[in-house]
Amino acid sequence: MVTAALPQPDLVTIYEMPEQVSLLQDAWRRIRRNRLALFGAAIILLLLVVALVATFWTPYPVWLQAVGPTYQPPTLKHPLGLDQAGRDILSRIMGGASITVQVGVGSAIIVSLIGIPLGLVAGFYRGTVDTVISFFINIWYGIPDLLVALILVFVLSDALHLIPRGVFVIILAFSLTRWMDVARLVRGQALALREREFVEAARMSGARDFRILFSHIFPNALGPIIVQATFAIPAAVLFEAFLSFLGLGLPSPMPSWGAMANDGYHGLDFAPHIALAPTIALSITLMAFNWLGDGLRDAFDPRMRR
Amino acid sequence: MTRGTVSYIGQRLVLIAVTTVLVSSIVFLLLHQIPGNAFLNETRSTPQSLAANLHHYGLDLPLPQQYFNWFTNVLFHGDLGESLKNRGVYITPLLIREASVSATVGFYALLITIGLGLLLGVIAALRQNTWVDYIASSASVAGYSIPSFVLAIFGLLIFGHYLYIWTQGTFYYVPGWGKLEQIPVPALALGLPYASYVARLTRASMLETIRTDYVRTAWAKGLKARVVVLRHALRNALIPVVTILGPLITGIITGSVVIENIFGIPGLGKEFITSILARDYNIVIGVFTFYAALVGLANLAVDVIYPVLDPRIRY
Repeated sequence: MVTAALPQPDLVTIYEMPEQVSLLQDAWRRIRRNRLALFGAAIILLLLVVALVATFWTPYPVWLQAVGPTYQPPTLKHPLGLDQAGRDILSRIMGGASITVQVGVGSAIIVSLIGIPLGLVAGFYRGTVDTVISFFINIWYGIPDLLVALILVFVLSDALHLIPRGVFVIILAFSLTRWMDVARLVRGQALALREREFVEAARMSGARDFRILFSHIFPNALGPIIVQATFAIPAAVLFEAFLSFLGLGLPSPMPSWGAMANDGYHGLDFAPHIALAPTIALSITLMAFNWLGDGLRDAFDPRMRR
Repeated sequence: MTRGTVSYIGQRLVLIAVTTVLVSSIVFLLLHQIPGNAFLNETRSTPQSLAANLHHYGLDLPLPQQYFNWFTNVLFHGDLGESLKNRGVYITPLLIREASVSATVGFYALLITIGLGLLLGVIAALRQNTWVDYIASSASVAGYSIPSFVLAIFGLLIFGHYLYIWTQGTFYYVPGWGKLEQIPVPALALGLPYASYVARLTRASMLETIRTDYVRTAWAKGLKARVVVLRHALRNALIPVVTILGPLITGIITGSVVIENIFGIPGLGKEFITSILARDYNIVIGVFTFYAALVGLANLAVDVIYPVLDPRIRY
C-alpha cells in the first residue's frame, strides 16, 4: 500500500508570520528610541552602583565627625566639603544614595504586593469585595495621604516604640497609605480584562479563579503595573526626604539626603555647599525616575504616545 | 443650578463629613494609644498634678468615652478641644487664624501653579517644535521633579543670601506675618513644581485640541486668534487639567507643611509639625481634621467647576 504523501504547504512561506515579541522586548524597542528615558535609566544605574559601593565602602565613615574643619568648603581631599560636624559630605551623599535606593525599591515592592492582589480581587470578583476596597480607595483620594503616613511613622516609632525609626518604618508607613494608587489601577485593568475572550477560554478549560487571576489577568496588566511601580519610587524617595528634612524621618547619624538638607539649611548664608549637595542629588534622582517612568509609560502604552 | 446639582453637592458634603470624621478618628485613636499621653515627659510633674492634668483634659476617662466626647464636640460644636501644652488655648479659633495665613500663601501658590502652568503650556503647544516649546517643555520636565523644599532652599540662598542687598532679608525673617513681600518666594517654591506639571498637561491636551475640526472651523470662520485659542481651544483643553486640581491641592497642602517650616510662616503647616514635636496631640488631631475637611471641600469645588467647562457632564 502506497500512500502518496500529501504535499504539505510551507506555512512560513505562505503566511508572513509576524515576529513573536514579548511585552518586555516590545517595550525595550520603544524605550530605546527615547533619549530622555535612557538618560534617566543611566542616572539610576549610576545611583544603584553608588548605593552598592556605599554599603561596603565610603571614603570616610558616614558618621565620623571632625575629619577636618567644620563647614569646610569643597577641597581636593573632600570634593564636596565637610558639614557642620566636620563629616565628609561625599561619603554621606553616597550613604544617602544607599538609603534612597532601599526606601524607593522597598516601597515600590511593598506597594505592589499590597495593591496588586487587592486590585485584582476587587476588579475580578466585583460585588462586596469591590465595594469595600473601592471605599478605601475613594476615601484615600480625599485625604492628605503623606501627612497620614507622617503621623503613622511618628506613632509607630516615636510614641509607641513598636518599630525603631529607620528605613523599614518609613517604607511601611508609605506603603500603608499609598497602596490605593496601585490597587485602583489594577482594579480597572482587571475589570476590563475579565470580560475578554482569553479569560473565558481559560474558564472553559477549567482553570481555577486563582490561576485565571495570576496567570491570565495579571500578565496582561503587567505594563501599567510596572509604570505605576516606577512612579511609586520617586514618591517614596521624596516622602523619606520630606520626613527627614522635618526631623521626623531617619534618626540623626544616618545620612539621609533630607536630613542633610536640613543640616545645611541652617548654615545657608556661610556654607551653602552643605545644603546644595543633597538637594541637587535628590532632585537629579527624582528627575531620573520621572523620566524613566514617562518613557516606560509611553513604551508600554503606545496609545498614550505623543 | 438644577435640583440635581444641589442634591449632588449635598450628598458630597455628607460624604466629606463622613470621610473627615473617619480619617480624624483614625488619627485620634492612633494618637490615644500612646501611654501616659503628652504629660509623661514633663519634668516638674507630681502624681497629683499629673492626675489633675489628665482630669482636666478628660484623659482619665475610658477611651470609648473620650472618643465619644471628642466626636460630639467636633460634630455639633465645631470644638476641637484645648491645647495640651498651653492650657487655655482653644484649638478651633487658633487653627482658623492660622488657616487664614496658610490660605494666603496657598492661594498665591495656586495662582502661580494654574496661571504660569496654563500660560507655559498654551505657549508651548501653539509654538510646538520651536525653541519656545523646547525651553518650556524641558523646564517643566525638570521642574516637576524638584521638590518644593529644595526650591525653597534655593530661594533662600538666592534671595536671602546672594541678593541680600536687594531684598534685605525681608521675606523670611520678620517678627510679624502679613507683609506682601513675604509671600512671593514661599508661594513660588510651593507653586512651581505643580506649575510644571500643569504646563505639561496643558501642552499635551492643547496639542490634541488645536488639531480638532471645530478649532479648524473657528480659524476658517475668520475668528480672531485670541477668541480661537481662549474660547474654543483652551476651554476644551482645560478639562483634563481640571481633573488633577484635586491632587494638586492635596499636594500644595502637604508641601505647605515643609515650606511654612522653612520660611517661618505661622500657618497650619508649621503648627502641625511644631505640635507633633511638642507632642501636643490635641492640636495634631485638630490640624489633621482641618486638612481632611479642606481637601474634601477642594475636591468638591473642582467637581462643581467641571460641568461649567464641559456641559456634557451633569450631576
